[in-house]
Amino acid sequence: MGRKPPTTCPSSRPEVETHSPLVCEQGIANSLPAMKLATIGIGNAGTKILDRMLEFEYNTDRNLCRHALAINTARTDLAKPDFVPEDRRVLIGDTHQKAKGHGVGGDVDIGADVAKTDIEEIRRAFDDVEIHDVDAILVSAGLGGGTGSGAGPVVIDELQKMYDEPVYGLGVLPGKYEGGRPALNAARSLQSFVTNVDNFIAFDNDAWRMRDQTIEEGYEDMNRELATRIVTLLAAGEQDNTEVAENAMDSSDIMRTLNTGGVSSIGYASSKIDEEAGLIGKFRGDVQDFDDGATDAAKIKGLVRRAVNSRLTIPCEVSSADRALIVLSGPPETFARKGLESARQWLEQEADTVEVLAGDDPRENASELSAVVLLSNVTETPRIKELQSQAVDAQEKIKAQDAVREQEIEELITDDDNELDPVI
Amino acid sequence: MKFALVGVGGAGCRLVDQILQVEQGSDRSFSGGNVLAYDTDKSVFETLDAVPLDRHVLVGDTHEALGGTGTDGDIDQAAAVAQEDRDELHREFDKLDLHEMDAVFVVAGLGGGTGGGVGPVIVEALTSVSELPIYVLGVLPTKAENGSVTLNAARSLQSFVTHGDNTILFDNESWYDEESPLAEQYWTLNETIAQRLLAVFAAGERQSADIAENRLDTSDVMRIMETGGVSTLGYAETDVHNPTTLFQRLRALFRNGEEDTTDAIRIKALVKEAAESELTLPCDRSSTERALVVLSGPPHLCSRKGFEKARQWLEEETDTVVVLAGDEPRPTADDLRVSVLFSNVTTVPRIEALKEDAVLTETS
Repeated sequence: MGRKPPTTCPSSRPEVETHSPLVCEQGIANSLPAMKLATIGIGNAGTKILDRMLEFEYNTDRNLCRHALAINTARTDLAKPDFVPEDRRVLIGDTHQKAKGHGVGGDVDIGADVAKTDIEEIRRAFDDVEIHDVDAILVSAGLGGGTGSGAGPVVIDELQKMYDEPVYGLGVLPGKYEGGRPALNAARSLQSFVTNVDNFIAFDNDAWRMRDQTIEEGYEDMNRELATRIVTLLAAGEQDNTEVAENAMDSSDIMRTLNTGGVSSIGYASSKIDEEAGLIGKFRGDVQDFDDGATDAAKIKGLVRRAVNSRLTIPCEVSSADRALIVLSGPPETFARKGLESARQWLEQEADTVEVLAGDDPRENASELSAVVLLSNVTETPRIKELQSQAVDAQEKIKAQDAVREQEIEELITDDDNELDPVI
Repeated sequence: MKFALVGVGGAGCRLVDQILQVEQGSDRSFSGGNVLAYDTDKSVFETLDAVPLDRHVLVGDTHEALGGTGTDGDIDQAAAVAQEDRDELHREFDKLDLHEMDAVFVVAGLGGGTGGGVGPVIVEALTSVSELPIYVLGVLPTKAENGSVTLNAARSLQSFVTHGDNTILFDNESWYDEESPLAEQYWTLNETIAQRLLAVFAAGERQSADIAENRLDTSDVMRIMETGGVSTLGYAETDVHNPTTLFQRLRALFRNGEEDTTDAIRIKALVKEAAESELTLPCDRSSTERALVVLSGPPHLCSRKGFEKARQWLEEETDTVVVLAGDEPRPTADDLRVSVLFSNVTTVPRIEALKEDAVLTETS
């Protein structure tokens, strides 16, 4: 069944001891196999993110997600994914009185209750996951609704009991505009997620809201941006050894950086490759192009700086990060070791930590050069503080309404002197 | 949401009949024919077109006082007879496939002898046999109707609200046209009620439905209704070819400090229009405990930002933190519709007036 392997170190990676990134010169790691992930999307948002991750993988010839599972309480939402196979979709709570396959109405407590009731079914869904074949488990969920926020922590708790592999959370925080109730769900759920996962990668809807979208397009663009970042980061270094550069990133570096626990944020920047020149061409995004005279090294350093200074998945004080990691992904001929090293040194100062790893992820056929920066265990995130105070307000309002509900209804339907009697 | 419809009394039965006609003429399936029509007056059944004969239930015809010709507005007698015949009334519930349903709506005019007297007994009976939420769709009488009707309504309101899980009210007084006889307006008034009810409770029950991105699940609706108490519905629609006005655009520009797209402006304006529209039961909107907003129309026009802003506006306006929102895609539609449900409204001038008039009748 592959549960509870004897060591925390997957046996397929014997070299992990000798090539520990700690002993690597200048913190740049040597080549090791890339991460293999079991992925679980919970609730509507979690499932959509998982689906976009699988899509990005498919489109870019990556092979990160070895297992995919979608769990939801709403039957109709489970019909939506394009890339999660049908037999990997699990409906929970269809026999629960308050859910019945219709969702949990945004109620985090019902979400948790449903998952606890159907925990056997969830466990069974893991039966065909060969855990020896994966290095870590990633659980994606939206924290503002009821299913992801409520069932998510229950599933994670179960995974932690079943496996020794790290379990990471990928969670979407609701925007301020989404209102008090989602904020309360998220603030409560965030506590459970962060306590139970090995690292929680946060995505802030507020920072990523885009204009001019229809409901139908929904959060697709945001989910794609998030999927691009998470897959580019976690899949780093999966190319076979013939192509591996000496600076190649590997899964143990990434896992080591995530080892801090807490909440993490990801930065990203990319630039199109100018095919004729084989050099970095026009840079994408809202940041200006670099001087034509800049060297490849300078361009790489600039790309990494842009990744950190662009929209992070959750805006945070970079200097509050505990550890950081840079992955440079693209055609190997565009890599410049000097550039990556000076970028690493720059980030070391920005993040005010000596624990900054950097590595390459060679992708022969990539049309872009991209830099992903992981800021692990960031402790100054204004949106989380704001979310918590929004949640406290909401909780007080809900309590106040609960307290007077019966009395107010009674006052509405009866007259002051009780002259009127009910019919029955 | 799938729900059974149980009409009680003349007004309730006719309203159920009309809702059923809407269902049969549309691509929506919500009751699936799970209907019952209870009355003490068998002549009412002759006016029903859509409720099948085997679903007509004559109450109290063996009782001398009623004899199949109605209650003459005596709700206490009607309630007493219904209590006596409880087992018979119960048996009819077997005709409803309640396992396939998410809720039951008991539909009644609150001022009538049968609606106001038998209605609460049926609500109470349903709650005792079923785990489903039993909602009430009730019609309040006009002021011009005589004092006993007002008294009936004020008294049965207490029983409906106490025994039902939530009571949605429609106030004839606010809606009828004083210039012409009330009896001639039932069809139009019922049309309004049916349209508003279905816009919220039958959203997403289209047979050829596209899956809504931000689908309103049955659990969402039930969560909003969970408060109990009295609820009311608002509605607005617009032709998709109607451009937003310059005024709307300017207003949005000055309010937000940034310019929204015309689609966003239109959606936000429409939600406001629905919330500020004449509600089925006029009330102070800020007294609502929870609210729900449904946007229905062609997906390419349903601006997410506009809808988000509208939801946020509604949350501020109603001063509640539980405002759920959902959409219903209708790709080929040429109109946009917004429906709003205000659940557990507690400041309702019309109910205060009704109680006052009832007390006058009771004590005179």
